[in-house]
Amino acid sequence: MRRTILLLAAIASLPAGFALAAADVAAGQEKARTCVGCHGETGVSPNPGIPSLAGQQDQFIQWQLVFFRSGRRPNPLMVPIVAGLTDEDVRNLGAYYHSLPYNTTILDSKPDAALAAKGKAIAAQHGCANCHTDTFRGERAAAAIADQREDYLVKALTDYRSAARPSVGVAAMTEAAAGLTDDEIVAVAHYLATFEPPRE
Amino acid sequence: MTSRSRRSSLFAALPLLAAAALPLTAASAADLKSYDSSKPSFWAHPPPDWFLGDETDAQKGLAPPVGPATPTPAAELQNDLKLIKLPPGFKIEIYASGIPEARQMAWGANGTLFVGSFNATNVYAVTDEEGKRSVKTILKGLNMPTGIAYRDGALYVIAINKLLRYDNAEASLDKMPEPVVVYDDMPPYVAHGWKYLVTDKNGWVYIPFGPPFNIGIPPTSVSQIRHVDLKTGLAETVALGVRNSVGGAIDPRTGDYWFSENARDWLSDDTPSDKLNHVTRLGEHFGYPYCHQGDIPDPKFAMGHKCSEFTPPVVNLGAHVAPLGMKFYTGSQFPAEYQNNIFIAEHGSWNRHTYQGGRIERVIVDPDGKNAKQEVFASGWITGQRDYFGRPDDILEAPDGSLLVSDDWAGAIYRISYSK
Repeated sequence: MRRTILLLAAIASLPAGFALAAADVAAGQEKARTCVGCHGETGVSPNPGIPSLAGQQDQFIQWQLVFFRSGRRPNPLMVPIVAGLTDEDVRNLGAYYHSLPYNTTILDSKPDAALAAKGKAIAAQHGCANCHTDTFRGERAAAAIADQREDYLVKALTDYRSAARPSVGVAAMTEAAAGLTDDEIVAVAHYLATFEPPRE
Repeated sequence: MTSRSRRSSLFAALPLLAAAALPLTAASAADLKSYDSSKPSFWAHPPPDWFLGDETDAQKGLAPPVGPATPTPAAELQNDLKLIKLPPGFKIEIYASGIPEARQMAWGANGTLFVGSFNATNVYAVTDEEGKRSVKTILKGLNMPTGIAYRDGALYVIAINKLLRYDNAEASLDKMPEPVVVYDDMPPYVAHGWKYLVTDKNGWVYIPFGPPFNIGIPPTSVSQIRHVDLKTGLAETVALGVRNSVGGAIDPRTGDYWFSENARDWLSDDTPSDKLNHVTRLGEHFGYPYCHQGDIPDPKFAMGHKCSEFTPPVVNLGAHVAPLGMKFYTGSQFPAEYQNNIFIAEHGSWNRHTYQGGRIERVIVDPDGKNAKQEVFASGWITGQRDYFGRPDDILEAPDGSLLVSDDWAGAIYRISYSK
């Protein structure tokens, strides 16, 4: 009770509009102990079909957890794992995974310059960078997708295309993926999985 | 012409021979883009340019912002509310929080506050027992149930293409009954397919139908407002030439329907203006896609039409302010000059370099739509050039004459009250 009062007093003295640093990275790390078996000890996934989460956008992680928790992203593995998470757990997990160093090495892809060039053209045509930014490290709720696992990127785009998973941004991904052919998905995934940011 | 630079380079890539062989009229027609809505695939996946329009490089990145994944904790929101500016004598407080993506609100006869949601798929009930409020999720898994209404004991929910009725709703909060489909002659697309419900004393419900894109020649069944007889399911067209409307209200002075309307995107930061409209006869045309804000012919889609052919707005509310839910004030708590004024919840911009809107607007206007004046009533939800702590989306008068405001960003409902 006393802690609550102190906390409320502390909050009351903050400048208005100041976003409280409510998220607790250490608590997120503790919660993430269940996650490391699949998503990797450092948040870099060694497993086919499982995404890396290290350095992922905080808000994107939170939205995916909320989607799993409500069953709107009906993944049979993830739904039961996150079912008991509180809103606070969700915020802490987002902060924890965002705090881990981003993977910049190519995971399990054999670079193919021609395929990457095709993917680059498709990404430009569909305006991917408009939300995911020019480095493809994402921003706010738009996911970081550079150097993600290629097999996972194929799966994600295929799932968005068939509306098997929901999209933030009022169905932005559902619509961006709707017109992609299988070959185009393979090319975009390869381009992103082997992405090298232009050197300064 | 600057907005065409990208398009021009695309055209430059076309085989020259084919381009040269096209007669001029065919080239202009191609430039207009045409949407073939005659195939089912159009309705499953309408063109994505309702948010990725004809943007230029200068407009890159102006995508709809995504709110927090979880509702803002009450203590944090309490702190944020210090930013809200109101006229003297008014105050704002949290009425209820922890309501993901709260949208349209409606009162049940016994004091239950029903609340729709945007993407959260839920409908909520907020109940009040001796001042202690609790929020319960009463419906789950609906397709964007943004619009709700309550009438004769039933809760009505509109989920994109289905108007559903849940009978004996207030007594069934723990287990809602199976719904009755009242009306479903509606296309299934999501883009601009979320809706708002307004009932009148004759038992009609007013339903807006937005076009599934930013700008284009709409299929004949959309870009309009219909009203549907709740008893029979019969429908009539109330208004044509309407882009994206997600708010409206019946004028208590006349019984007329008024509605807010979001104007097209990607033209510029300062044009065209969003509108407040007044319907005086069934089937009048409000200008979309030919004319915007009453006086700007669309650069591509005017196609020879003049703005004078269409019903002008009662008032232009500003570019990219996003007027959504609205109500006429009929309570006795606020000073007398507020009687029959319109309060409009402005959701705020996404397609503008510096956001505006994100506030409550007050419009003072005669019953015939003349002598309109507007002023900002409550503001402060925008916290940076392109950031919000909340986004107002609907207004509802409480029985005591205070005003409730729902916010789908912070996941909360506020109460604005007045005392001398």
